[in-house]
Amino acid sequence: MSFVRSRPTSFAAIALIAVLVAACASSGSSGSPVVASPTAATPSSSAAAAASASPGSSGLKTHLVVGLGYIPSVQFAQFYLAQQAGYYQEAGLDVEFQNKIDPDLIPLVGQGALDLGIGDGTSVMPAVSQGIPIRYIATIYGQFPNILFAKASSGITSAADLKGKKIGTPGRYGSGWIFLQALLSTANLTVDDVQIVEYPDFTQRAAVEQGAVDAATGFSNNEPVQLERSGTKTTVLHVDDSVPLPGPGLIAGTKTLDAKHDAIAGFVAATLRAMKEIQANPAAGLDAAIKAVPELASDRDGQAAVLAATVQSWSGPAQQAHGLGAIDQAGWTTSISFMDKLKLLAKPVKTEDLVRSDLLPAGD
Amino acid sequence: MNRPWVPVVLAFALFVIVWKAIVVIGGLPPYVLPPPEDVAERFVSAWLDGTVWPHFVTTIVEIALGLVVGVGLALIAGYGLARSVLFERLASPYLVAAQAIPILALAPLLVLWFGNGLASKVVICAVIVFFPVAIATMVGIRSVDDRLIELGRSLRATDRQILTTIEIPGALPSIFGGLRVGVTLAVVGAVVGEWAGASRGLAVLLNLARGSLFDIPLMFATLLTIALVGVALYLIVVVLERRLVGAR
Repeated sequence: MSFVRSRPTSFAAIALIAVLVAACASSGSSGSPVVASPTAATPSSSAAAAASASPGSSGLKTHLVVGLGYIPSVQFAQFYLAQQAGYYQEAGLDVEFQNKIDPDLIPLVGQGALDLGIGDGTSVMPAVSQGIPIRYIATIYGQFPNILFAKASSGITSAADLKGKKIGTPGRYGSGWIFLQALLSTANLTVDDVQIVEYPDFTQRAAVEQGAVDAATGFSNNEPVQLERSGTKTTVLHVDDSVPLPGPGLIAGTKTLDAKHDAIAGFVAATLRAMKEIQANPAAGLDAAIKAVPELASDRDGQAAVLAATVQSWSGPAQQAHGLGAIDQAGWTTSISFMDKLKLLAKPVKTEDLVRSDLLPAGD
Repeated sequence: MNRPWVPVVLAFALFVIVWKAIVVIGGLPPYVLPPPEDVAERFVSAWLDGTVWPHFVTTIVEIALGLVVGVGLALIAGYGLARSVLFERLASPYLVAAQAIPILALAPLLVLWFGNGLASKVVICAVIVFFPVAIATMVGIRSVDDRLIELGRSLRATDRQILTTIEIPGALPSIFGGLRVGVTLAVVGAVVGEWAGASRGLAVLLNLARGSLFDIPLMFATLLTIALVGVALYLIVVVLERRLVGAR
């Protein structure tokens, strides 16, 4: 009897919960609060929003939530320096950093829960092809940071030397796996021509050191730096010359770009300013990183080496020609074809669906 | 009720309607919450094109072996806990302490010790299954009427005969209670183990769909597969229980 009597109440409760959840999700997707401007995304109102959020147009600052990588590290020195030196403040911005992993960060940026984030170019392509509304707006890593490393004593000096060799990798996914296929393709090889050994716990550096594999995938500012510091001569293979895969850069949601265009352009300019400063004076970047993450001070030399390798990766051919942050559109077009060959794109995408260059400072 | 499946179907229909309502009313894009029809379509296509199958087989093998090891050890330990005061005093603190440590924290260590392969997943499944089944066995054995055992002994029954004809049948209802919890936890154990480090399995497919392909309908289709594995295992235990113990 109680079942019959309680049925309307239960249904009403479920309906109420559904509506509340939907309402919360809806408000959550409208983006983070903006102090100086509304967040409406219609063309006319977004223009007004952008105007009212223009840096320096009033005493109020535009709040930007920026997603960085999962762990605060010296690799984000440019953001810490721009914050501490007041470059964001000068641009009329109130910047808040949040640390997120890449898979979480891209949907959050698309949804507008984060205004900006760092995203791999090779993640932006499948994400946009799946309908996530994001754009890549400035290059951070002009050189693709994924590399293949081996002990110099292995005799591996080019992709052609990898035939029949054991190669360690965390798994058959992500930018590292895409990089490996791109690298092998430069010597007309595929993953079937090598022996893949998976290290899902990211212990491939130890595997190379111990000789369990001949080479492994990694990052230019991580494993080779650590191996060299431990006294092991290392060979590093890049892929940029043959398949110019786009490295990590700044990404933003399309609605956010409409609503906060000028504020985001100000953020990009301030960040690039800090990158140039760190290029000229890496110690300034290291100090800013240590101030933001005091734990880094316990290994100052090691962090300096990681930062030096990171700074080196910021500048590829396109950035050397057009300045830091520049987007190599031709490289993106080549990469789209390559990703399509790997069947990583659910639907066809074009370069203009993925990147926007109008947020870079004029003259860069 | 003549048609026991009717409430099940109605509850499922309500679940799908509420899901769809949340998507429509909230105006949620598919990469935040895909509508049920997208997930259903991806579920079917992922099974038909062979995307799910190798991951499914890997996870099922991990669960099956984890259950065999975990339940086997738990039955022995549960009996020991019920019948030996000394064993209970020695083992109980460690069992409770082990249960208090989240498996999420333990899994990366177990992967480090037992490697990235099948062994670590089996151990994680066994660890997570062990406690509820061991405690249920202990409670079940203790609940056996002492007078029945005394009667058996007076009839010169051997220890083995008492175990197989009095204690185990008497403890079965409780043991099956533990198994119902254990089989669903085994699914959690396999997924957590794969999450901590694996190259194949449903959790790996989950990560691929979420982090590499941004294919959120595939992610939900994988979650649905994991849920169905849990439901299927639970139903197998219920059927076994009805055959051996009778409906409860």
